[in-house]
Amino acid sequence: MRRVHFPVVFLSAALLTSLASAQTLTVGLDADPPKLDPALSTALVDRQVMNQIFDKLVDLDVNLKVIPALATSWKVTNGGLTYTFKLKSGVKFSDGTPLDAAAVKYGLDRNRTLEGSARKNELSSVKEVKVIDAQTVQLSLSQPYGPLLAVLTDRAGMIVSPTAAKKAGSDFQNNPVGSGPFTFVSRVRQDNITLTANKNYWGGAPKIDKLVYRPFPDGDVRYANLLSGAVQAITPVDPKDVSKLAENAKFSVLNYPGIGFQGVWFNVTRAPFNNKNFRQAVAATIDREAIAKSIFYDTVTPAAGPFPPGTAAASSSIKVQKPDIALAKQKLGGKPLTFTLLTSPGSVTIQLAQVYQAMFAQAGITAKIEQVEFGTLLDRADKQDYDALMLGWSGRPDPDGNIYDFFVTDGTNNQAGYSNKTVDSLLAKARAQNAMSARVATYNVALGTIINDTPYTWVYFQRNLVASVKGMVGLKPIPDGILRFKDVDLK
Amino acid sequence: MAVFALRRLLSAIPTLLIVTLIVFAMVKLLPGDPARLILGQEATPQALSELRHSLGLNRSMPQQYLRWLTSAVRLDFGTSLTDHSSVSGLIAQKLPVTLELSLFAMLISLLISLPAGMISAVRRSTWIDRLLTLLALSGISLPNFFLGILLIYLFSIRLAWIPASGYTSLAEDPGRNLLLLLLPAVTLGVGSAAVLTRYLRSSLSETLNQDYVRTAHAKGLAARQVISKHALKNALIPFLTAFGLQLGGLLGGAVITEQIFSIPGFGRLLVDAVFTRDLPVIQGVVLVSAVAVFLVSFLVDLGYAAVDPRIRYH
Amino acid sequence: MTTTLSKPPSPAKRRLPAPVRRFLGNKLAVIGIVVLVIFAGAALLARQVAPFDPAQIFFADLRAAPSAAHLFGADELGRDIFSRVVYGARVSLSAGLISVTLALVFGGSIGLIAGYIGGWLDDLLMRFVDALLSLPFLVLAIALAAILGPSLQNTMIAIAIVTAPAFARITRGEVLSQRERDYVQAAQALGAGDGRLIVRHLLPNISGALIVQTSLAIANAILAEASLSFLGLGIQPPTPSWGSMLNAARGYLTDAPWMALFPGLAIFLAVLAFNLIGDGLREALDPRGHKS
Repeated sequence: MRRVHFPVVFLSAALLTSLASAQTLTVGLDADPPKLDPALSTALVDRQVMNQIFDKLVDLDVNLKVIPALATSWKVTNGGLTYTFKLKSGVKFSDGTPLDAAAVKYGLDRNRTLEGSARKNELSSVKEVKVIDAQTVQLSLSQPYGPLLAVLTDRAGMIVSPTAAKKAGSDFQNNPVGSGPFTFVSRVRQDNITLTANKNYWGGAPKIDKLVYRPFPDGDVRYANLLSGAVQAITPVDPKDVSKLAENAKFSVLNYPGIGFQGVWFNVTRAPFNNKNFRQAVAATIDREAIAKSIFYDTVTPAAGPFPPGTAAASSSIKVQKPDIALAKQKLGGKPLTFTLLTSPGSVTIQLAQVYQAMFAQAGITAKIEQVEFGTLLDRADKQDYDALMLGWSGRPDPDGNIYDFFVTDGTNNQAGYSNKTVDSLLAKARAQNAMSARVATYNVALGTIINDTPYTWVYFQRNLVASVKGMVGLKPIPDGILRFKDVDLK
Repeated sequence: MAVFALRRLLSAIPTLLIVTLIVFAMVKLLPGDPARLILGQEATPQALSELRHSLGLNRSMPQQYLRWLTSAVRLDFGTSLTDHSSVSGLIAQKLPVTLELSLFAMLISLLISLPAGMISAVRRSTWIDRLLTLLALSGISLPNFFLGILLIYLFSIRLAWIPASGYTSLAEDPGRNLLLLLLPAVTLGVGSAAVLTRYLRSSLSETLNQDYVRTAHAKGLAARQVISKHALKNALIPFLTAFGLQLGGLLGGAVITEQIFSIPGFGRLLVDAVFTRDLPVIQGVVLVSAVAVFLVSFLVDLGYAAVDPRIRYH
Repeated sequence: MTTTLSKPPSPAKRRLPAPVRRFLGNKLAVIGIVVLVIFAGAALLARQVAPFDPAQIFFADLRAAPSAAHLFGADELGRDIFSRVVYGARVSLSAGLISVTLALVFGGSIGLIAGYIGGWLDDLLMRFVDALLSLPFLVLAIALAAILGPSLQNTMIAIAIVTAPAFARITRGEVLSQRERDYVQAAQALGAGDGRLIVRHLLPNISGALIVQTSLAIANAILAEASLSFLGLGIQPPTPSWGSMLNAARGYLTDAPWMALFPGLAIFLAVLAFNLIGDGLREALDPRGHKS
């Protein structure tokens, strides 16, 4: 290379600048987090940022075990109706307000009652939050609710500064104040969110000084920004780019299991899918292995049910269904089947829809693809105004969050309109059981019925894909997909 | 002159009112429930109805229109449904990005079209005119998303000179800003360069045919002088008009260009809003672009009137 | 869609009328016609021309490079790009022709009514046309396509709506200038009815401007369809559209540039053909352009 082109000069200059301020870590996300308020947040991506700003009562480890956070210990008594949390002492919010039992009560009550709170459902079993002393909080439940601890590892358990929240009102999301390892500095919508290290963090100061999030909805753009050095880490990574990054000596890829699932809903309340045989026929045409390989480059795992491998309720007795065109044809019984497959825009979903369409066609099933924007998709799912629908779930650490609301009669996520008395009573039974092994056994009995009824067919489990520069170390692969930056360092 | 300007402005009011009606009606016809969109996959029916009420979605259409119009006049377009930020704030933040891109594109388009149009007009019906005509028509026919992809392939992937996408603000790093805007500006500018070349060719060749130019020729002035002193000056007026009127096209073209190069501008705001059914943002963006197009044509008219007094009495 | 250029005034049948001769003398315009005929042939005979079903997935051929088996290569699902480009011609050409026909009929009628009747109706209609024209073409098309929902039919309606105002403007202008001409005044004096006057006298005299505009509008309509499907607002998969093929190709530029190249070239050539024809028509029908 004799000639030095002027863009190269610019590029190297930009690279040098980023090296000099190595203590700033910039992360590329797939969306601009809409609301940084634990109560009002409805987008998953909000959690990426809020987890740095806020502390939760309890957290998850890499094995999805619930571990202490603000709560140093807890007791479940009274047949699962009383939860008592001991709090860490001496914790302060970044605005100086002390984080004591009263602040925890304020935060939980705010999540339970604030107008427009999206946490009301998750905390509906909580009857009352009581301050026992400055370091002890007690939650009384109206009925036993096994998943409560797991729910508190997420937004429902994030504690906001009462001083700041009272002052800001509904504007709190634009200036969130918590006690987490990083403190909110500023944001420019669709451009960046800037956080700075909380030097006085009770768990030790973070290793990096500044954490910046930038939204890049387009996967190729996210990838390009990682390559150009504009960001040091991205999540998610487009499946097609994973192997390219893994082969590149300058970058490393974290590829670890997630907790969600993806598949297809069938509307059981109307023709054609009020016919169980038709549902089973469609499910039988899907080649889950081929999809994982060809569309996702093996960055997803073929799915048999709602519980990904490695999670508490996963069972090896439930096998991934192999494609069986003969079976599908037999289920159809010579009758024609034509329906509309509803999906939302996005390059991967569109590819997937077309692959499904081709797979259905092998059994003589005709599917027409209809793309509608995500809000409309959910709206039509609620109104059961569809035949079949491509929709998955991000997953919850507790198995209940992956099954209950989906298959219980009139459940909030029961898009199929499915109703089965046996399933209802089994799911309710599992909720009231406290021992995980007992709950898992109950879930798997229920699942046998659900899989046979096929209101939903599982296709794959998504995995968490994070790419970063080689020098970024200390990121724990926690299956909920949230990147916790407290212990992350840039070398 | 002031009277003319005022009359022109007043006569535009009914048109602008119709524009607001179209924009309002358009958005009201969009399918999908904004409340569902805001609350997402976990919403409860009760939360949905609360939100519909507070958004005013249960009022009558004329009420909603009047409420919207009176705020719009005060430049208050409401708040975004997805993130609760003010729509005028979003527009104020994104518009400068698109304006910079458009100006850059205009500059590139002038650098191409001025010489090309002049050569084409002077050498009318020769091989070079045919070649330039073919090139100009090719430029008009080349979809900007294809051109953008070709440029990315060549300069970002093959040669790796310029990053394929990204945006750095002018204040943050001027050099990098211009570098990153270069490919998008070329993508956006080529189409308008082609259109302007055609305009300049036809207006200049018309002037060249006029008597005073012929006379100048007959008087023995050198061709170069005739063109630069007489013909070009007269031909430039319609050319500049066309130049001003390219704005509407550039705003449309910016939508695609910003999408390809992921530039956080006005067009990207529109596309994102369309995909998330962010109604107040769609309304604001469409209305502001209509007003911008109107303002430019108003300025062009004023410029015309200043040059040619007869227009004022028309 | 067929259009008669103008009735041959000369009694000698063998001799073509002057505009036609001028048009055929324009090499670029003739090239445009040839390209158009090739695309139209591909669209009409897609079933015979395309070696594969455009939606057929070959997992063994994911992003295969151009070869004898796949002339233009294969896409991210192993589908044959040549077959998809051939079928895509159907979408593009029908979108262009149908939307512009709709725009011509509606826009032309509005312009005719406004110009012929005049008065407050003219004012009202033209205000509406002005309002539509002050919205940027693509911005309006995107908004309309979003309202109507993504499908080929709705894309065509959206494009027709944004294209119609220009036809209304041109028609009205032409009608206004023709109305004052002697022959119209004479026909009116002789007691010709409105309908007869419009069909027999006005329309033939304003068709020249409309023909040129039609050709250029088709070029724009094809571009607009491609833009909308590029943004995901056009025809639904798996039906191939050049715009959506290009959009899918963006993610694979490094590994499979042919995915972008061929649909991009197809859009370019089809639009260029209509622009060349339109330009040729303008020169052929506008005698002023032929003084020099």
